[in-house]
Amino acid sequence: MTQGIKSEPFILNIGPQHPSTHGVFRIKATVDGEKVLDAEMVMGYLHRSMEKLAEERTYTQNIPFTDRTDYLSSMSNNLGYCLAVEKLAGIEVPARGDAIRVIMAELQRLASHCMAVGAFANDTGAWQTPVMWCFREREKILDIFEVTSGARLTCNYMRIGGVAFDLRPQFEPMVRKVLKEFPPFLQEMEDLLSGNEIFISRTRGVGVLTPDMATNSSLSGPMLRGSGIAWDLRKADPYCGYEKYDFDIPIGYQGDSFDRFIVRLEEMRQSLKIIEQALDGLPAGPHSTEVPLALRPPKGEAYARIESPRGELGYYLVSDEGPSPYRFHIRPPSFINLSALREMTVGGTIADAIVVLGSIDIVVGEIDR
Amino acid sequence: MTRELTGLEAAALAESVVPGSVDKTTATACYLKPEHLVATLEALKGSREADLVHLTNLCGVDFWDHMEVIYHIQSFVKNHIALFKVETWDREHAEVPSVVPVFHGAWMQENEAYDLFGIKFPGHPNLYRILLWEGYPGWPLRKDFLSMPGGLQPGLGDFAGEARRQEPPVKVIE
Repeated sequence: MTQGIKSEPFILNIGPQHPSTHGVFRIKATVDGEKVLDAEMVMGYLHRSMEKLAEERTYTQNIPFTDRTDYLSSMSNNLGYCLAVEKLAGIEVPARGDAIRVIMAELQRLASHCMAVGAFANDTGAWQTPVMWCFREREKILDIFEVTSGARLTCNYMRIGGVAFDLRPQFEPMVRKVLKEFPPFLQEMEDLLSGNEIFISRTRGVGVLTPDMATNSSLSGPMLRGSGIAWDLRKADPYCGYEKYDFDIPIGYQGDSFDRFIVRLEEMRQSLKIIEQALDGLPAGPHSTEVPLALRPPKGEAYARIESPRGELGYYLVSDEGPSPYRFHIRPPSFINLSALREMTVGGTIADAIVVLGSIDIVVGEIDR
Repeated sequence: MTRELTGLEAAALAESVVPGSVDKTTATACYLKPEHLVATLEALKGSREADLVHLTNLCGVDFWDHMEVIYHIQSFVKNHIALFKVETWDREHAEVPSVVPVFHGAWMQENEAYDLFGIKFPGHPNLYRILLWEGYPGWPLRKDFLSMPGGLQPGLGDFAGEARRQEPPVKVIE
C-alpha cells in the first residue's frame, strides 16, 4: 500500500474441503491481498437433524445419537445427555457408576485435547510430527475404550442410571500405564512447542479475546478460560461427584491463541490428577440402577450441562410424559464458540485466520448436528 | 453448586429492573412480555444484584398452538442461572425481538431458531438459514412439519406396546 500498489478486495473460500477447517466447514473470506476484511461462516454440510429424529425415539435409543454429534468426545456427550434425563426423571446413580463416569469423561478429555493440540500444531505449520505424537498417545486411550465398551470412537457406554457394563479386570493396569506415560509426553510437547520461537510468533497476539468479549459472545470452556475467566462447570456446578476431587482450573491472561493452547495442555495434567484420584477411590457396588426401558419421565423440562472438552455442553429436554422426548435440544459448545470467529479474524491475515480456527477446536459434527 | 433461580425469584429480579415486564411465572421459568424482553435482559445484565451476563442457551420449542423461545442466562460471580421464556402465538408470522444487541452470543443461536422453527427475530443484524439452504420448504423442528406434502414419518413407528403420540389436527399446506 505504501508503495502505491493498487489492490482490490476479492472473495476467498477456505473450505469446505480443506484440512485446516477440521471437517466440512467453509469460511467465505473477503480479502485484500493478505488481509481479511470480512469473514462469513457457511455450515450445515453435515446437518443430520438429530433434534427432530430424537423426538421419535425413546430416551434410551437417543444415546447413540449423542455419540455422533461430537465424535471426538463421545463419552462426554453420553454423560451430558444421561444427566439431563436423570434430572428430568429424578434418577439417582450409584457411587461406582459416578466414579466410572468421571474416569471415562476425563480419559475422553485427554484424547480430545490430544487431537486439539496436535491439529493446532499442524495448523501453525509444525507439519505432522506433533500430531503423530498425539495420535500415538490417544491410541492408548482408545484401546481402553475398546476394552471397556467395545468401540473406539462412538462408545455408547453411558446409560440412564449408570454405565452399560462394569469395568474389566485389565482396565486398571491399562489406565495406570497411561497415567505413567502421559506426563513425559506432555513435557515433550511442551518442550517442542511452547518454547518454540516459530510457534510463539505464529500464535502470540493472534485472535485476542478480551474477557468482556468472551462473556458477551457466550463462549465456554478453554476459550473462556484462555481469556482469564476461571469458569469451569466441574468446580462451579459439580456433577458426578467432581467436588470430591482435587484439581485446579488453568487460565490464560492474554486471551490469544497461545493461551488457549497452554490452557488445553495444562488441563490434561489436571485430568490425569482427577483420574488417579478416582481410580484410587473407586467404590465397590453396582455400576448402574435399574431403569425401565420405556422410561416416561414426568411432565416438565430439564437443562443439564457438563464441562465437555470443548466447553459447556448442555442438553435441554422437555417431556410430555411420552416414551420419547417432546423436545430435545443440544447446546453445542463448538457451534457457539464460533460466534467470536469473525471478530477474531477480521483485520488479520489469512494465515492467522487458520490459526484462530485451529485454536477454537471445532468439531463439525457438533456444529451441524 | 450453581443455584437455579425459581420462576418467582427470576420474576422478582426482572420486576425490580423493569416494572411490568413479567407476563407469568412457573416453578422453574419466568415468562417475559416480548415488548419488554430486550430492555429487561439489558437491565439484568447491568444489574449488580442479578449480574446475568452470560447467555448460555437459547432455543425454540413448539407447542402446537404457540411457540416459545427460551433463554438460559447465568452469572459467573453469583453462580446462579435463570430461565426466561417468551411466547409467540402467531404461527404464520412468529416474531420475537432479537437479543443480539445485548448478547452477541445470541447471533448464532437465533439464526438456528429461525432456520429450524421459522421464528423471525426483528433486530437481528443478519438473519439467514444457517444450517439448511435458502428456500428449504418448511421449518423442520415444528411439530407439523411432517404433515406437509411429501413429508415422511421418521423413526421406528410404534414403540412396543405404546400408541403413537396423539397429534392435534393440522392444516395441510396445499
